[in-house]
Order: sequence, then structure tokens, then C-alpha cells
Amino acid sequence: MERLTDIIALVGEETVRAIAGLIGVLIVVVVNAILLTWAERKVAGHMQRRIGPKEVGPYGLIQPFADTFKLLAKELLVPKDVAKPLYHLAPILIFIPVLVSFIVIPFDAQLQVKDINMGILVILAFSSLSVFSILIAGWGSHNKYSLIGAVRSVAQNIAYEIPLLLSLLAVIFMANSFSLKDIVEAQKGLWFVFYQPIAFLIFFVAGVAETNRTPFDLPEAESELVAGFHTEYSSMQFALFFLAEYTNIFIVSAIATTFFLGGYSGPVLPGIIWFFVKTYGLVFVILWFRWTFPRVRFDQLLNFSWKILIPLSFINLLVTGGILKI
Amino acid sequence: MNVLTEFFYVFFFTIVAVIFAIVAVILPKLLSPRTSGKKTFTTYECGIEPFGSAWIRYSIAYYLYALIFIAFDVDILYLFPVALSYTRGSAVYEFYSLLIFIIILLLAIIYAWGKGVFQWKRKTP
Repeated sequence: MERLTDIIALVGEETVRAIAGLIGVLIVVVVNAILLTWAERKVAGHMQRRIGPKEVGPYGLIQPFADTFKLLAKELLVPKDVAKPLYHLAPILIFIPVLVSFIVIPFDAQLQVKDINMGILVILAFSSLSVFSILIAGWGSHNKYSLIGAVRSVAQNIAYEIPLLLSLLAVIFMANSFSLKDIVEAQKGLWFVFYQPIAFLIFFVAGVAETNRTPFDLPEAESELVAGFHTEYSSMQFALFFLAEYTNIFIVSAIATTFFLGGYSGPVLPGIIWFFVKTYGLVFVILWFRWTFPRVRFDQLLNFSWKILIPLSFINLLVTGGILKI
Repeated sequence: MNVLTEFFYVFFFTIVAVIFAIVAVILPKLLSPRTSGKKTFTTYECGIEPFGSAWIRYSIAYYLYALIFIAFDVDILYLFPVALSYTRGSAVYEFYSLLIFIIILLLAIIYAWGKGVFQWKRKTP
């Protein structure tokens, strides 16, 4: 009897935690998307010696809200030739990894929805869902541009997933844990970026490629494929793809921060501020990339991963393994 | 029990994500105007009439990349449990196992390289 009440109390506690966590995560997702759509245009503007958005609100800060309402009021056009179930499934499927990944990201020592002890595996497993979503979107749209974009995107995502896994493995070899919190705690002395500079670079390049950002944005290369896999999507379905893309940029930066830059640890200021400073620093670098590097050719893109990044990350892993045994 | 609560979080967030996405798609259906011109619902193809099926053939190269990926991804999954227990033992035995495993994986890349998987043949007109 007592055991039963214990279980009920535990279930209640976990439910409250889950709901509170969910509200927090939704706020982070929405605020991040608002911030990034604004920052992307502002950064782009200033890098090209323009000012970027400035009419709507102070410094154009209300612009993202205006965009949201515009997208909400847009007609949801479904072209007549699409494969209906697949076409409607794709935007829903791409949004799942966005929310689930946030469960395990530690914003602060105590501020984490749930410290799952297989944390990084949850993120990696669910982020693979977005590949499915892109393929389904491209196939279901019944559009040549969408199909080519989707096929490219899948080839690129699987090519860069391997160096991504290997560079994270090098850190896991040192920290001996999948839990993101344990990995941050293992960096109390010196951040892993100083032990694993090569792994950090490989992870960051692969991460940019996984989020389909320039210079790896072949799947949606405007000049040849219109908009790639989401050519036929309009209104909020289009917005969901965009929300997922911007949140993925944040998630990649957050994982890089957690694995290599000491996560929430830092002097004087509270941990959560350090976490966001580091994460948005990396996000800014990704935005910066877009206006620095031209797009690469597609076979060069794939071969860069297979011929350079993968052998390099294997060697990095071997060296790590060797040094740990000395 | 512990594992169950962890799964509960993942499950709960998945359900909410699906609901969020569905609501987000239903909202514009209620708010937005509707049009129906003659060409409103045709597939977009840069302004011309779409011709043929959109499900076209694409290069075989993609298939080869996918094939080597499958071999690699499965093999790398075996390294994850190794990473957890690598430093527990003190012998160099683990290092040699890792060395042999990675060299075999590297041989796979060298084999694919030699076979010309990474070479995209230019189509002759």
C-alpha cells in the first residue's frame, strides 16, 4: 500500500516536472526562432554594409512577429499532384526531434528537463528523424526540384553523420558517460576543446552540414533548386520547416558548447548566462559562415567528408585512445 | 522504474510536438483566404507547364554513398559501448582491439576509394 502511494507521488512529481520543462522548452524554441530570424537578417545586412530590417519596431525587433502573423494568414496551398499522406506527414515529423532534443540539454547545473543517462544517444537517434522527414517531403511533393533537393540532403546528412558521431565519441572516450551533465562536470578542470581541438573542428563543420547551412546548403540551393525539398510547402507548413532549421542551429551549437566548451561552467556569472553566451557565440559563427564561404560543388562536398573528415576523425579517435592508455 | 520515467519524457515530448505541429497547420486553414484560379494547384516548375513525372531518375552515385554509409553507421554504433568502459581496465588490450577495429573500418574507405566510389563520372553528351 505504501509502495503504491510512493509510486503515485513519484508519477505526480514527474508529471509536474515534465509539464514545467515542456513550457520552458517551448519558450526557448519560440524565442530562439524569433531571435534568429531577426539576427540572420541583421547580421546579413551589416556584413553587406546595409542596416537590415529597421522599420517594424525599434531596430526591427518586431519584424519576426510581423512575419509570423503573415505566415499564419497565408493560404495553405496543397498542389494537386502531391502524395497526400506523405506530404502532410513531413512537417510534423521534422518538428519531433526539435522538441525531444531539448530534454537532455543542460542549461544550468539544475536546469535540465531530465538527465537521461543515455542523453546524447537520444539526441542522435531523434535527429536522424529529420532525414526521413526531408526525404518524405521531397518525395511527397511530386516536384523535380524537391526530389533532387531531398536526395542531395539525404546523401549529405548521412555523409556528415559519421564524422559527427566519431568526434563526439572522442569526447565520450574521455568522459566515460553519455549523460550531457556528466560530460559538463568532467570539464571542470579544462574544457575538452583544449584536449580535442580537431574533434571540435570536425564536429562544428559536420554540424553546419547537418543543419543544411551555407556553405553546405546544396539541398536548398536557391540558384538551381528554387527552395529544395520545401519548394511546394506554403504557410505554416513552410514555417515549421524553418522553425526546425533555426532550432537545429541552436541545438548543434548547444551540443558543441556542452561537449567542448564546458557547457554552463564559467566564473562569476550564473551558469545559464554562460551557456547562452557560448551557444549564441557559436550560432553567430554559423550565421557568419553564410556570408563568408561560397557554396561548394556537390561531389566535392560529399568527398570532403569521406576522404578527409572521416579518416581524420578515425585517427583522432585512435590517438585519443592511445593517450588515455598511457 | 527509472528507465520508464525517462521513456515517459521522450514519449510525452513527442506527443506534444505532433500536436503542436498539427495545430500550427490547422490555424492558417481557419484564418487564411482561399483562392482557386485555373493554375493555382499545379506543381511549381519555374513558370512552365510541368512535363512528365516528377519522380525522375537520379545518379547512381547517391546509392553507392548510401551503401557504404550503412556499413559504417552500424559499425560505429559498436564503438559507443566501448567508449563507456574504455578506461576502466588498465591493460593495453583495449587499445589494440580499438586499433584493429578502426584499421578494418579504414580499409573499407580505402577499398571504396580504390573502386572509384568517390569519383563522379562526367556524363558524355
